[in-house]
Amino acid sequence: MPQPFMNTPPKPEKLGAMTAGFLQEAFAGESQASQKYLAFAARAADEGLPNVARLFEAVAYAESTHARNHLSVLGGIGDSSENLKAAFGGETFEIDQMYPAYDAVAELQGAKEARTSIRYAKSAEQDHQALYEATRTTVQTGEDMVAETINVCPICGHTVIGDAPGECPVCGTAGQFFRAF
Amino acid sequence: MGIDPADKKLPQPEDLDPMTDEVLHRAFAGESQAAEKYLVFAEQAEEEGFPNIGRLFRAISFAETRHARNHLRVMRGIDSTAGNLLVAFEGESFEIDEMYPAYRQIARTQKNHQAVRSTSYAMKAEVDHKSMYADARERALAGRDIDDLPVSVCLICGHTVIGDVPDKCPVCAAAKEQYRTFT
Repeated sequence: MPQPFMNTPPKPEKLGAMTAGFLQEAFAGESQASQKYLAFAARAADEGLPNVARLFEAVAYAESTHARNHLSVLGGIGDSSENLKAAFGGETFEIDQMYPAYDAVAELQGAKEARTSIRYAKSAEQDHQALYEATRTTVQTGEDMVAETINVCPICGHTVIGDAPGECPVCGTAGQFFRAF
Repeated sequence: MGIDPADKKLPQPEDLDPMTDEVLHRAFAGESQAAEKYLVFAEQAEEEGFPNIGRLFRAISFAETRHARNHLRVMRGIDSTAGNLLVAFEGESFEIDEMYPAYRQIARTQKNHQAVRSTSYAMKAEVDHKSMYADARERALAGRDIDDLPVSVCLICGHTVIGDVPDKCPVCAAAKEQYRTFT
């Protein structure tokens, strides 16, 4: 019997500057489509349309495969030590540069809900920055991090290693609603 | 138990001035890309034999999806399902008619073969998505859900099919074992 054909995602290659620029934009577009469809799936489920919710979830996953393919061609996937460094750098930029600047604009314009959304994100990025930094140190010695549950607040994204707190220290959501990984 | 969408702790939609609207759009773009990157980094960590780091990336990816959703809510980016299906349909149409043909042409001009593959895979799947969203919108406008059928996605190229999985992917020829099914 012939073996089924196992395909592999597109591979990294040396890119012309224009191709690299547009592939970055395509990665951004696919990433945003995927997140939109996940939010739309939750809305469809709330409206009692579980099959439409499933369609949105499946298509969100398809967009994730496209985002991964573009990222792969762009050479954006390293080994875990490099990936942790890239993740740490991204979180640091959001904490030091992006969210403070965005919050200043939202404050100036009196956008209360936008400020809440920004505050939740910035607070969680600080958790992530610390977790990535600690983990990278472990990986550089060739070891995995310790096996422990990780809990995430479904409202603000607050992230903790180990048990969920009684209530979220950032937004007050009860610990029972946290999603455990 | 799910979260009540009316939960007061969730940031609420509000009228935004153009600059705040712009920065929230950018923040949504940033969070969305971080969430996708971390999912890929999770797979990489698992392949390297670091399952706990894989879990860390997956958990933080989920946290970034919460931020993306919050920003999208405030910008009034979440509508009724019929409205959401129209937005989704229009996004797919733009990618099929405008974005990917232009991107692929550049990649061809510059002889970047892997980039041609990556854009072709995406463009073909978006055609499936567009027609699925159009059908679903008709149902939603009539107040009905779509049929209760599994939806399967090729994990190489994103080819999306409602109902039975083909023996091999018609776009990239991956085996049916390489599909993920949403039941």
